[in-house]
Amino acid sequence: MTANGSPPWLELARAILGEDGLLTDPASLESYGRDWTKVYAPAPCAIALPRTTAQVSTLLRLAHTHHVPVVPSGGRTGLAGGAVAAQGELVLSLERMRTLHPVDPIARTVRVEAGAITQAVHQHTAAHGLTWPIDFASSGSSQVGGNIATNAGGVRVVRYGLTRQWVIGLQVVLMGGEVLELNGALEKNNTGMDLRQLFIGSEGILGVITEATLKLAPLPRESRVALLAVPDLRAALTLFGAARSAQGFELLAFEYLTDLCLDVVLGELGLTSPLAQRSPAYVLVELEPPEGGGDGAEDRWLEGLFATGLVSDGVLAESLAQSRQLWSLRERISETLSKRGILHKNDISVPVAALGDFTAAMMEAFQGAYPDFEIFLFGHVGDGNLHVNVMKPAHLEKAEFFARCKGTDALLFKLIRAHGGSISAEHGIGLLKKPFLHYSRTPAELRIFRGIKQALDPEGLLNPGKVFDRIEGVVS
Amino acid sequence: MKILVTVKRVTDYERKVKISPDGLSLVTEGMNFVPNPFDEIAVEEALRLQKAHGGEVVVISIGHKDASKEIRQALAMGADRGIHVIAEELDPDAVARLLMKIVEEEKPELVIMGKQATDDDANQAGQLLAGYLGWPQATFASKVEGLDSEAEKAQTPGVVIAGGEATVIREIDGGLETLKLKLPAIVTTDLRLNHPRFASLPGIMKAKKKPIKEVPVASFGVDITPKVRNVKYAEPPARKAGVKVADVAELVNKLKTEAKVI
Repeated sequence: MTANGSPPWLELARAILGEDGLLTDPASLESYGRDWTKVYAPAPCAIALPRTTAQVSTLLRLAHTHHVPVVPSGGRTGLAGGAVAAQGELVLSLERMRTLHPVDPIARTVRVEAGAITQAVHQHTAAHGLTWPIDFASSGSSQVGGNIATNAGGVRVVRYGLTRQWVIGLQVVLMGGEVLELNGALEKNNTGMDLRQLFIGSEGILGVITEATLKLAPLPRESRVALLAVPDLRAALTLFGAARSAQGFELLAFEYLTDLCLDVVLGELGLTSPLAQRSPAYVLVELEPPEGGGDGAEDRWLEGLFATGLVSDGVLAESLAQSRQLWSLRERISETLSKRGILHKNDISVPVAALGDFTAAMMEAFQGAYPDFEIFLFGHVGDGNLHVNVMKPAHLEKAEFFARCKGTDALLFKLIRAHGGSISAEHGIGLLKKPFLHYSRTPAELRIFRGIKQALDPEGLLNPGKVFDRIEGVVS
Repeated sequence: MKILVTVKRVTDYERKVKISPDGLSLVTEGMNFVPNPFDEIAVEEALRLQKAHGGEVVVISIGHKDASKEIRQALAMGADRGIHVIAEELDPDAVARLLMKIVEEEKPELVIMGKQATDDDANQAGQLLAGYLGWPQATFASKVEGLDSEAEKAQTPGVVIAGGEATVIREIDGGLETLKLKLPAIVTTDLRLNHPRFASLPGIMKAKKKPIKEVPVASFGVDITPKVRNVKYAEPPARKAGVKVADVAELVNKLKTEAKVI
C-alpha cells in the first residue's frame, strides 16, 4: 500500500493513463461497474480509460504482473452481466478509443476503434451509401467492441446474419499485453485457424478488442413496414415461410409480438393501436424492394395475405414517420415492460422448424405449474429467437418471485434442450446464464472452452467468472 | 352530411430537400412523396364525423398526376371517393379558385383542409376559399383533450356538429378559443386535433375499387396564372461547430461571458 492507502499498481496505472485516465470516485465505480441487468451490485476498484492500444497493452501487462482482475467494458448495454464488475476488478473502458477511420468504398470496409458507438458507425458510413448492418434498439449506446465481443444479433439478423459475419479484421490485446493483429483487411485468408472468430462472441474472457475492420453492406433501400395481425405463433411461422419463398423483395425484418406485449406498450406510452381490431398476436415485417424500385411486388404480396386469409388484418406505413411509429411498438416492448413491473427474462432460440411445438409445450407447462405468471413473448422469430419475459405477480414478494423463477427456468431449459435449442440466443452467458450453460453445451465443449481460456489467460484474470467459473491459475 | 377533404402531395418532410443549382426551385427527382400531414389529420377528422353523422367523405387533390397515390391512401383510410384535378404546381390562390368550382358542384356542408402544406407552408388556401365562397371559417382546429386522452383513443371527433352549426376549438396564444360556425363552413386542421389512422390492408383492398374522377385543370375555365413568383430558395445557414470545455467552471464562464444566457 502507498501512503494514501491505494495499492502500488494503481499509482503505476495512473502513470500510464494520466491523471484523468483513471477514475475511483464512487459515482463512476457505480455506473461503470454494471450493465443493463441491474441485478448485481457494482464494486470495481477503479475505472481505466485508455486512449490508445499501447496504453491498453501496458495496462494489461501491469495488471498481469500484479494479478489484478480486469473487466473489459463497452457501452454496458448487455443483458447477461458480461460487463459487470462486482468483485473488486479493474474496469477497462474502451469509450475514449472511438476513432472512425475513413470508409474504403471499394473494399466496402471501415476501420474503427472498439469504443466507437454503433450508431456513430452507421452515420459515418451512410454518407457512402454503406452501412454496418448490425442494428438493435440500444445502438445509440452500445459500442463496436461490445457488439463484437458478444457477437450481437438484433433486428436485421434474418437478412444479414450476426456480427460474426461483418468483421474482417481484429486487433486484440491479450492479458499479458501482447497485441494481436488478426486477419487485417483480408476478405480471403485461408492460412490455418481463424483466430479472429475465436474472439468474436467470447464475452471478453480471452482478450480485449481494441480495433476492428468492419465489413459494410449497401444501405437498405426504401423499405415497406407493415404490422400484421395473426391468430398465434404457428400462423406467424407459416407467414414467415410465405415471406421467405415470395419473389420480388427481400425480407429485412420479421418480428413477432403477442397482444399482451402490445397492450403494455400502448398503455405505457398512451397510444392507440394502429389496428382497428385487436388480435392475439402480431408480426412486424420490413420488406425491401429490389434495386431500381421494383414493381410493387411487396405491396401485392401484403395485400394477397389478407385475401388468402394468412393474416386477419394489417396496417401499412405510408411514410418514414409511420414506419418509425410501427417499429417503436416493437422496439419499446423491453423498456415499457420494465416500467410496468419486475421481470425475469430469457432470450432463447430453437430451430425455426421446432419453434411452434416448443412454444406450445412451454406455454402449457407454464400454465400448469405457474398459472398466476403472465408470460410476455416477442422476438426475432425468423431466427428462431424468442424473448420470454415473466412478470412478477403483485401478490408475490420479489425474493419469492425470483426463487420461483428458478423453477420456470429449469422447466424452460429442459424443453429447450429437448428441442435442440439454445438457452441464450443473443444476450450471451455472462454471469446471469452461467449456471445453465450445460443445458446448451456438452461437457466435451465446456472442457474445450476451459482449455482455450487456459491457453490465452492462464491466471484467469480477464473478465473472471464470466461464462464459466474462474479457473484459479498457477501464479508464475 | 357530405364532407370535402383536400389532400396535397408533398415531399416527405423527413427527407432533406435539395435546391436546384439556379436557386429557383426544389429538386423533386428521387424525392419520396407523402400526403401533407395536416391533410391526413383533416381526412381523419372527416372520417370521425362521418362515423358520427353518416354521409359521404370526398377527397380532392389538385396536382401532379401521381397524386392519385395520395388520394388512394385517403380512400384506404376510409374516404368514399376521389376527385383528382391534374395540374402543375399552383399557387394557393389558383387552388382556392379551383376548389370553389368543385364546392359549387359538390355542395358539401363542410370542407376540411390541412392548415398548411409542409412543402411551401403557405397557409392560405383554406382562408382564400372561405373568402371566395363567403363561408364562415375556423382555422387551426384543435382539441381540448390531449392526444393521449381517452377521447382520442375512442376516436371522438374534435369538431362538434349540432343543429346546423359546427363548434371548433382553436389554439391561440396563451389559451384556447371556441368558435361556432353556421354550416356550410371551412375548417382547417392543426397538429393536435387527432392522430390519423394507418391505412389498413382491408382498407387498401377496398380502396382499389373506389372511384377517382380525373379532371384536367383546363376544364374549369379558371385563370391559374401564378400571382406570386418564387425568386429564390436558400439553405439555412450551417450550424457552427460546438466547443469542448474542460470543466464546469469553464462552461459556466462561457455561458456568462460568451453566450450571455446566465
